Amino acid sequence: MSSPANTIVVGKKTPRIYSREAVLFGCILLLVLFVLFTAGVSRMYHKSIHVLADNWFDQGEASFRAGDIKSALTDYRNAMVYSPDNAKFQFHLAQALAAAGRGDEGRSYLLNLLSESPGSGDVNLALARIAAHKDLTSDALRYYHGAIYGEWDNDPIVRRWQVRRELAEYLLDRGLQRQAVPEIIALSDSTPTNDTEQLRTVGNLLLKAKLWTRALEVFRTILSANANDEDALLGAATSAFNLSRYNAALDYFDRLPEKDRNAPGVDEMRKTTRQINDMNPFLPDLSREAKARKAATALSVAASRLQQCASQPGRSPASPTQTQLQKALAESKEPAPDGSWQNIAKHPETVDEVMGHAFEMENAAAAACGEPEGADRALWLLGRSQGVSAQ
Amino acid sequence: MTEPAAVTSPGVILSAANDPPNSTSKSGFRAMWESWTSRVFTMREDRFFLFLAVLIGILSGLAVVCFRIAIEWTQIELLGSSLSPTFPRVVLAPTLAGIAVALLVIYAFPRARGSGVNQTKSAVYVSNGYIPFNTVVGKFITCALAIGSGQSLGPEDPSLQMGAGIASLLGRRLRLSQEKVRLIAPVGAAAGLAAAFNAPISAVLFVLEEVIGTWSAGVLGAIVLAAISSVVTMRAFLGPESMFRVPPFRVAKPADLLAYVALGIVGGLASLVFLKWLAYARPRIQSLPRWTQHFQPAVAGLLIGIIGIRLPQVMGAGYPIIDQAMHGQFTWKLLLVLAALKILATGISFLSGTPGGMFAPSLFIGAMLGGAVGAIEQHFFPALPGTVGTFALVGMGTFFAGFLRVPITSVFMVIEVSGNYTAILPVMISSLIAYGISRSYIKVPLFDLLARQDGLVLPSVEEQREQMILTVEDAMRVDAALVLERTDQIAAALKSLEGKEGLLAFLRVRPGEWNFVEHSELQRLAADTSRGHAVEEANSKGPLPFVFRDMSLEEALHWAGDWPALPVLSRADLSKLEGVVTLDDILKAFRKVPIA
Repeated sequence: MSSPANTIVVGKKTPRIYSREAVLFGCILLLVLFVLFTAGVSRMYHKSIHVLADNWFDQGEASFRAGDIKSALTDYRNAMVYSPDNAKFQFHLAQALAAAGRGDEGRSYLLNLLSESPGSGDVNLALARIAAHKDLTSDALRYYHGAIYGEWDNDPIVRRWQVRRELAEYLLDRGLQRQAVPEIIALSDSTPTNDTEQLRTVGNLLLKAKLWTRALEVFRTILSANANDEDALLGAATSAFNLSRYNAALDYFDRLPEKDRNAPGVDEMRKTTRQINDMNPFLPDLSREAKARKAATALSVAASRLQQCASQPGRSPASPTQTQLQKALAESKEPAPDGSWQNIAKHPETVDEVMGHAFEMENAAAAACGEPEGADRALWLLGRSQGVSAQ
Repeated sequence: MTEPAAVTSPGVILSAANDPPNSTSKSGFRAMWESWTSRVFTMREDRFFLFLAVLIGILSGLAVVCFRIAIEWTQIELLGSSLSPTFPRVVLAPTLAGIAVALLVIYAFPRARGSGVNQTKSAVYVSNGYIPFNTVVGKFITCALAIGSGQSLGPEDPSLQMGAGIASLLGRRLRLSQEKVRLIAPVGAAAGLAAAFNAPISAVLFVLEEVIGTWSAGVLGAIVLAAISSVVTMRAFLGPESMFRVPPFRVAKPADLLAYVALGIVGGLASLVFLKWLAYARPRIQSLPRWTQHFQPAVAGLLIGIIGIRLPQVMGAGYPIIDQAMHGQFTWKLLLVLAALKILATGISFLSGTPGGMFAPSLFIGAMLGGAVGAIEQHFFPALPGTVGTFALVGMGTFFAGFLRVPITSVFMVIEVSGNYTAILPVMISSLIAYGISRSYIKVPLFDLLARQDGLVLPSVEEQREQMILTVEDAMRVDAALVLERTDQIAAALKSLEGKEGLLAFLRVRPGEWNFVEHSELQRLAADTSRGHAVEEANSKGPLPFVFRDMSLEEALHWAGDWPALPVLSRADLSKLEGVVTLDDILKAFRKVPIA
């Protein structure tokens, strides 16, 4: 082991003895020189590792943009070796991990960033997306709200609007209608009336949330700026249809270009609307004869649907829908006033009674045999719009 | 220049600077210098020691900054800047660097071998605090080369030795007293370790726990000052950030702590495996022919390079990998593999005699094990609080406590390296379990074991810590004294003593003043039947020094030889005798204690 300091070894030169002051002065001089040297070395070191970190990060960005997530991850990690506390690097690494389907791994970096800046919109959003991907709804909601009320470097209003839209879409996709509604309403309220794109997005979300009245309002706002906006026409038509404003709906459907009008779902809705209008005796400006003809047709259509439904085998006689069906069937067979259009035309006050009877038969059939199609569907929907619903 | 200072008793340093200044012949600068030096050198030596501690702290901090930069640059130059070095580099760099390190250690810096902790300890206990500066230079160069080339070793223990070496040089050059030179090496050691770890409290605790072994108030202040000044210096150049970043967590229910019990058991067992392996393999490697030392670091480098082809994570100190593990970047299987391979790689590097430390590798192994245990537990109990990173953090402290056997340091180390206080309870639990397991199966701690293998018998801090401290209570006899008042009659006193063999008579003069009265003296006075004698007339011995039942027996031993017996008094009432203790009683009590 080592020999003691004060041992004198024969043949070796004894060290020269300096005064304490000299040694201390030398130490302080050495300290100053050492500080200067270390400062120089550390400056060079920091410069070189920043260059390395930036190079790796840029390489990672390029790989990420090119869709090479694996390389991007390696590059980001290399960048973080030289700048481990760089929030930007950590954030991009976390995003790359999330993109690679390794959200759990990314989450850890994001939580770290969040602990440092809990109000960061970007970090909250990234965490919300990971939580949403993992179906952790309460976490997702918390982080989405953190992002909505958080800080954003650029365009905070737009970014918050986008995050709320994303949240609303997430909730609707998960079937969480109740939680989605306030978000969509808030989104609608914060949408500028001159931004057609945002209005269109909001309108579609309102449609998905079945907020028909608000949706119709939004689409009308768009149409007031551009009367031929196809998406808005379709949205307005759908909203009006669901609000039982069939006249208005038909108007919007008719204004659609032919290719849109004939699209599968749209065409069916348009035809139903038209049929409803064709069967509706309550439309204004109809002659007594026209009303009577429509009422008579409705009665006949409903009776035929009822008969057809009652003749279908395999229903439990004790079920409430069956009881309702039997009751409606019995009433239809009772001696009734003449249901011909001529008779109804003679007694125009019976139109309401006849139509009420037809609606009840359609309701009973719908309850027992499912939603009707074609003319029956039109009649059934008309009944619902008139306030007659299935028991 | 003034004459050398002279040291006088008791520790006041006199200097020629105290002489009246000759102002007419001195320039302004010289006058200022002399005024300052006179103030510095006329300080009591203990104050000067504190001043020196700050200086040592700054110098050590600067040395550690340069050391870390040197390691980093070496790594970039030899292995490249990527975490995954390319194939030829990964094998060639550690192998060729191993040859260079071996040649440097054998021909230029023979004292640079090993981790540095035991060398510092032996400097304190064997060489009166002497560490040649050549060792500091050697440690710097060889460790930078070894760790930078990928050897599985860390920079902390070498930093500790470098700090101690700088301190030793300063102490010698400033011609401190022999005692201070011996104490100054640990001061430098704390400074070096604190800067390397960015953890002043842990460094202070480690040096007290492992290097000095006592909580000496005389040196504690200097150690703390040196550690703080070195950390401040280091942070000025390398930044204040803690080593690892783990999101805070909360242990919600006491039952959650059970998760960390399992980690403590795993960490304890793993530390046992590592310790056993080192204890078994080291003497065998050391018994190989001397010429093989030229190749051992190169062979170690080659083997580590081969491991590094598939898993480069095990190379070097591994801090970025620990950070990744803390962020859950690895599967539990990979974490376990990395822990096992790191044990292997670190053992290979260390056994080959390559200079470098064991701190960073033990943190690495602990983090990987902790992460693996955490991932497995969370798989079965998803509601468990904390992330894999939390377990990795706690695992670091656990393995550290089991492997290095420094449980207090390990707890504070985890807090300091992460800046996270939420982990304190889990770390305490798992560290104590790991420490207990390791202690049960291997009696001698790592550094003591290595010292004994090298033929050195250094004081074992762990043994000291666990030594039974005997108190007066262990030796005193309760019913062996007769208390006499000054006015008591001799005849009555003798009557009380009659037939009671071994009963000792004490005279209570006043509270806190007790005398011893021999039986023969009482009998002498009783023989005079001319009149009745009071006890105060007897020639008693005293006043006796008194002891309390909670005082250490060693303290009582100081007085016991000079007096026939010592009274054991109540701390609340000095007129109340609680018992009596004699030299014989004390020696009997010491003999009863088994020798460790």
